[in-house]
Amino acid sequence: MLEIKNLHVVVEEDGTEILKGVNLKINEGEIHAIMGPNGSGKSTLAKVVAGHEAYEVTEGDILLDGESILELDPDERAHLGMFLAFQYPVEVPGVTNKTLLREAYNTIAEKRGREELDPLQFEDYVNERLDVVEMKPEFLERSVNAGFSGGEKKRNEIFQMAVLDPRISFLDETDSGLDIDALKIVSKGINHLANENNAVCLVTHYQRILEYIVPDHVHVMLDGRIVKSGDKALAVKLEDKGYDWLTDTAPVSVNGEQN
Amino acid sequence: MTGLQTRHPYQLMENRISTMPKIKKTDTFLSDLLAKETSLNGESTAIKKLRQKGIDDVRNASFPGRKDEDWRFISLRELYSDSFVPASHIEADLPDLSEYYIPESEGARLVFVNGRFSAEHSSTNDLSDDVTVGNISDISASGNALVEEHLNAYGDFDGDIFSSFNTAMLQDGAFIHVPEGITVDTPVQLLYVQTNADQPYFTTSRCLVLADKGSEITIVEDHIGLGDNKYFSLPVVEINLEREAYVKHTKIQRESSEAIHIARTAAHLKQHANYESYTITLGARLSRNEPRITQLEEELEFTVDGLVLLDGDQVSDTHSVMDHRFSHCESHQLHKCVINGKAHSVFNGKIFVRKDAQKIDSFQENRNLLLSRKGLVNTKPQLEIFADDVVCTHGATIGQLEEDEVFYLKSRGLNDHQARELLTYAFALETIENITVDSVQKLLVEEVHNYTSRTLESEE
Repeated sequence: MLEIKNLHVVVEEDGTEILKGVNLKINEGEIHAIMGPNGSGKSTLAKVVAGHEAYEVTEGDILLDGESILELDPDERAHLGMFLAFQYPVEVPGVTNKTLLREAYNTIAEKRGREELDPLQFEDYVNERLDVVEMKPEFLERSVNAGFSGGEKKRNEIFQMAVLDPRISFLDETDSGLDIDALKIVSKGINHLANENNAVCLVTHYQRILEYIVPDHVHVMLDGRIVKSGDKALAVKLEDKGYDWLTDTAPVSVNGEQN
Repeated sequence: MTGLQTRHPYQLMENRISTMPKIKKTDTFLSDLLAKETSLNGESTAIKKLRQKGIDDVRNASFPGRKDEDWRFISLRELYSDSFVPASHIEADLPDLSEYYIPESEGARLVFVNGRFSAEHSSTNDLSDDVTVGNISDISASGNALVEEHLNAYGDFDGDIFSSFNTAMLQDGAFIHVPEGITVDTPVQLLYVQTNADQPYFTTSRCLVLADKGSEITIVEDHIGLGDNKYFSLPVVEINLEREAYVKHTKIQRESSEAIHIARTAAHLKQHANYESYTITLGARLSRNEPRITQLEEELEFTVDGLVLLDGDQVSDTHSVMDHRFSHCESHQLHKCVINGKAHSVFNGKIFVRKDAQKIDSFQENRNLLLSRKGLVNTKPQLEIFADDVVCTHGATIGQLEEDEVFYLKSRGLNDHQARELLTYAFALETIENITVDSVQKLLVEEVHNYTSRTLESEE
């Protein structure tokens, strides 16, 4: 479904190179996890896939169903069924969750050839989706993320995912800032939403969330490249040993242990 | 003899210089206008006396210019370079006004057409007999002593020529008196309609609100221009809040696109009083608002929020004064401006905390959203604090829409236009969501909507 080929990306403002040739292929029905230390470029990858304008692709391509999406605006990508759960969800005071979601849902529905919902139909639909992340209906009347705790913001991202029903979702550090109960709820929600027809890519620093969501593929990102891929066992190994053993430039030594 | 002869012409010349200085048009602009209005009448001696005081004050005051600190950001050229006739010289061609009536105030409405009271359009049926709401000159003529006692007692703007001019022109206006302990449930609408005319005219309106001890009232002051003509509107509002009185005041300024609107609003508060005001600026080519809140006793609160939406070559200036004179006062001022096109917005917010006025909690924020490259913003918070145990937070920001916010909404499928419209709308909305009269809030939400979609279209 999604294919990232030799992707090179610089920060548009100052030309700093962040991604230095990323290759990744995600198919329907799969759950991927991209792990890596701070500054490795994994959040940048998620943002570039969503179409963030602060970054410039200098080489390589991103294909959705075989077609390049590089020229598409973020909204056009969303219309094709792409979704990004933000690491730092933006507060939009004055716009209620319901207003945003109805406008977003109907815009996407129109583009994806689905039926648009009138306010009453939408009300039913959205109430049912609230259950996915165990949120109360009052939540819909609150301004988007305004005054939300860190955990509420992350839950709201997954709620938006549940409402918009994307084909491929990048979840950027969705687990950070969640206490254990919230983490369980969010993980349950994500597991509930993942199915044969869509794909999920978790971008995370810690393997904590992977205790609740079992990935089919785990990738390690270092210095703008995916340096190793494997199954969930790789995540466990990373938790044990950290990332240093993967750096191929320096002689590998982790805690005095030769690898 | 020769000595005298040689000295004489010199003295003459000197006389000529001293008695005939170069007269600038600005110096005489308002006194000239005074002379044009000869039709003022009314039986009340109280009003006649005030009028004379106003005339004297106008003659003694100087017309402001850019050299005055309080006027340095805007030019009044649009005003003094034109000639205006009194609104009474204009034949008002009046359409049906009912679309401007707010339903909540169906029986609590005063209408003024070009400054003159219109009994035909007004209605006070819904108000109880304890409450006096009507035309100030009628009420004064009927012998109501409150007018003489209170009129012009609060609107002293440090010798300001415009409020003096308004006083010199005193005739019709709104008078509201709520006696002790009375709560007026019906919001009172004060509708000021300015009609279309070929000839630029000037109109002054006055409003006096007296809220006695423990009384409560909501006022909606609405200025509407029916055409796109040029005129000069100069309203002055005076509000007195006795102890425990609560006055909610919403002002909507939607004058014609060529109008000049220079307004003064003064509120005086006593202990445990609460004054809440929201000023919404949408219209006029040039507008200036000067709210001035004065604390007369300890322990009270007030709010002076504002929303300004500008486009084209509109200029709007808000100069506010929050005068904390005694301890224990909570004050709030959120002033938001959205600027598009070549529009120019000015904010000067003075906060005074006088000596020994302790435990003051004052919040002031001026946020400006610039939608265009050619828009201009001047903002100047001005704090003068002479007490040491106070909390005064203030801030001023000028910015564009946050690109991160735009990206966030676009990633949810909204296109650029939808995202920017939603964010602009949300920015503006914060200042009007506390307005409690439903239809007014709805009207303003609609105005904000129209503004955002219009400005974004003009940009594309």
